[in-house]
Amino acid sequence: MMNRVLPTAAAILAAALLQVGLAPYIAIAGVVPDVLLLVVVTLALVEGPVAGASAGFAAGLIFDLLGSGPVGPMVLVLTVIGYMAGLLHENMFAEGWLLPLTVLAIASLASALAYGLFLDLLGAGGPLVLTFFTKMFPEALYDTALALLVYPWLARFLRQDRPMTTFRRLA
Amino acid sequence: MRLPQPEKSTSQPGILVVLIVLSLVLTTLWYREGDHGPVHRLRDGVQAVAAPVGMVGEFVTRPVRGVFSWVADLGVSRSQFVALQQQNEKLRNTVAALEEARLENARLQSLVNFAQAAKLKALGAHVIGRPTQYDRVITVDRGTADGVHEGMPVVGALGPIPQRATEASASGGLIGQTIDVTAHSAKVRLISDQGSGVASMIQSNRGYGIVHGAIDGSLSMDFVSHETTVKAGDVVITSGMGGVYPKGLLVGEVTHVTNLPSSLYQDIVLTPSANLSGSEEVLILVGASSSTETGNGE
Repeated sequence: MMNRVLPTAAAILAAALLQVGLAPYIAIAGVVPDVLLLVVVTLALVEGPVAGASAGFAAGLIFDLLGSGPVGPMVLVLTVIGYMAGLLHENMFAEGWLLPLTVLAIASLASALAYGLFLDLLGAGGPLVLTFFTKMFPEALYDTALALLVYPWLARFLRQDRPMTTFRRLA
Repeated sequence: MRLPQPEKSTSQPGILVVLIVLSLVLTTLWYREGDHGPVHRLRDGVQAVAAPVGMVGEFVTRPVRGVFSWVADLGVSRSQFVALQQQNEKLRNTVAALEEARLENARLQSLVNFAQAAKLKALGAHVIGRPTQYDRVITVDRGTADGVHEGMPVVGALGPIPQRATEASASGGLIGQTIDVTAHSAKVRLISDQGSGVASMIQSNRGYGIVHGAIDGSLSMDFVSHETTVKAGDVVITSGMGGVYPKGLLVGEVTHVTNLPSSLYQDIVLTPSANLSGSEEVLILVGASSSTETGNGE
């Protein structure tokens, strides 16, 4: 158990550092990639729903604490996203790249939408439809493109006890 | 390719519920506590720690961003080029309009200065009609509605000829006088029109004469006796005789003098002081005369 906690914590910490130190500077047309989400989904797919939810809780807390909005909404969203992505862990047969990328793209869109709706409920939201097209959808594309590069390496790092072979082509 | 042997894992929804409740508690706490509550203080601490990380990131990625920015500038050159071309065109038009306004302002300022120096009541007007091939008449955009009547003197900015000190001591030259005034426009017969005659005098020796126009647009001064010494470069001004034109308005400059003993008077050719056919703005001296005389001379 302990030998999984350390890589998980390291991955979340590294994601937090990258989210603060790198992500804003590799933004394309104002769209900033969500490194924390990438780590949460990868963890969930590799470790399962409990690890996914826990990682989502931690990553969401970091996201909220680093941002300027209320603390709590992204905690809730990433917890649920991590848990749901983790449910797929039991149903994944192959170690291909298509399913994880699809999951990540959906998770990116879903988390952005859910976060926007939650903020709306709290009275702190903005124009949701406009944001969907100008921020959420481009961000989902960016996250997916980034995952294409990062996911294979990250998945290998997080499941060292179970070697993966298929990603050799990619990673 | 299958996973080696997936571990049995349960979904454990209880943990999800606990985490969701925790997140809701956190959200409630955030809104309920004041600005100095524990969650707010935690955020302040986290952001204080994160700030240097952001600075490091900015420093580390600066060269890479510079390269990307340079490449991006090259990549969008076509669309930006078109946009910049359009912007440049607009700016050129704006600059041209501003330059035009500046020049107009300078011309009007010189006319106003002239009117003020000569203590004349004047009305500014734009030239809206140019002289034709046969007709030395311009049209201005002022009429009876503005207080303009027939026979009023009209002055304009000086032409390109060198100017000398005059009694009027200002930069306005005589253009002509109003004829055919309508409600909102007036025709101005130029002093170079063959039907025009201006009582004038040579400034240096006070020799009197009448300045006439000709069909070819030239300007000459008649009725100057042989006893009066006239030379090229002498300045001719209005004499004030006849009551139409106030005394001291610049009329022109002597360019050629022919003094034949066989003729009664000297033959004097002038260059008009004002830019007669090229003026864009003029001053109508509305307080100079109440005469309605528009015919030959004063």
